[in-house]
Amino acid sequence: MSDLSDFFAEVGKHNLLTKEQEVQLSQRIEKGDRLARDQMISSNLRLAISIAKKYQYTGCSLEDLIQESSLGLIKAVDRFDWRKGFKFSTYACWWIKQSVRKHVASNTSSIKLPTHARGLLWKMRVMADEYEEEFGVAPTNEELADLLGVKASTLAAIVKSARWTVSLDAKVGKGNEGRSVSETVPDGAESADTLIDRQKLVYIVRNALGSLTPREDKVIRLRFGLSEDSTDHKKYPITSEEIQTLEDRKS
Amino acid sequence: MSMPKGHKSQFGYATVSSEEGCRGYREIAEIMTDDGDKMNHSTARNVFLRAMQKIASSVCNSYEHGEADKMAQDPRFQSAIHEIVASI
Repeated sequence: MSDLSDFFAEVGKHNLLTKEQEVQLSQRIEKGDRLARDQMISSNLRLAISIAKKYQYTGCSLEDLIQESSLGLIKAVDRFDWRKGFKFSTYACWWIKQSVRKHVASNTSSIKLPTHARGLLWKMRVMADEYEEEFGVAPTNEELADLLGVKASTLAAIVKSARWTVSLDAKVGKGNEGRSVSETVPDGAESADTLIDRQKLVYIVRNALGSLTPREDKVIRLRFGLSEDSTDHKKYPITSEEIQTLEDRKS
Repeated sequence: MSMPKGHKSQFGYATVSSEEGCRGYREIAEIMTDDGDKMNHSTARNVFLRAMQKIASSVCNSYEHGEADKMAQDPRFQSAIHEIVASI
């Protein structure tokens, strides 16, 4: 049995608390009772685990997520005010979510985003989902920016910064075998086949140009704006603006 | 009976006038006429297309492609030849 399963089994042994028990424990915690605090935490660990599990496909390990959600739970236990009359879970889930989201945001990307930017991204995703559900189409960046009350350029910059990064050394397939990402990225240079084809085509066109009559040759040159001698304006007349452009280029 | 509409290229018409130094058929006709080779814009186009057909025939023969006429009129072909001729 794994450590995590042991932990789940241990957590399962603690019964959930009723509202009255929560109030009693909170009152004892206020007086500095460490045992009451431990019991409050242990009894609500199930809540922390269930929230952590919702984020397990974000690229972080479940162990880390549970640890972070537990820290959020501890923070909630220390700050819970039983006088307001709410169930503890209603209050705690926000601290737990905040703690987990903070961990996910700072560990899933090598680009660190400020908290307000992460919050804006979160709101943007929620709003985009709601918009699509209501209107049946995805909102444009401008529409989202308008709804969120920010500039479209700001939103675009945040979205761009939040993109996933991929290591060039990472393997493409499963496991550690196979090609790396860097081997699959096109280098932008023409392939040998293309170069050979192009050279062949140039050879063919060059020969074909030799078979043209002087009249056809001249018309083609005029059509394509080509001249053997760019200074020979009489043979291939060009406008004064074009002469100026050529002179500018020379200088 | 309606008038025949003529040939409509599948990929539109080649327009090169937006590129630097390139000329339209009317402009070519004027230059050629000034140089003593009298022609109008239609002749300029026909001369140009005939030259294109010669190039297209050479290409077709080399690549075993059978439609030099259509290829010569294709603006994509003309654009490719423009690029190649400019690089020679």
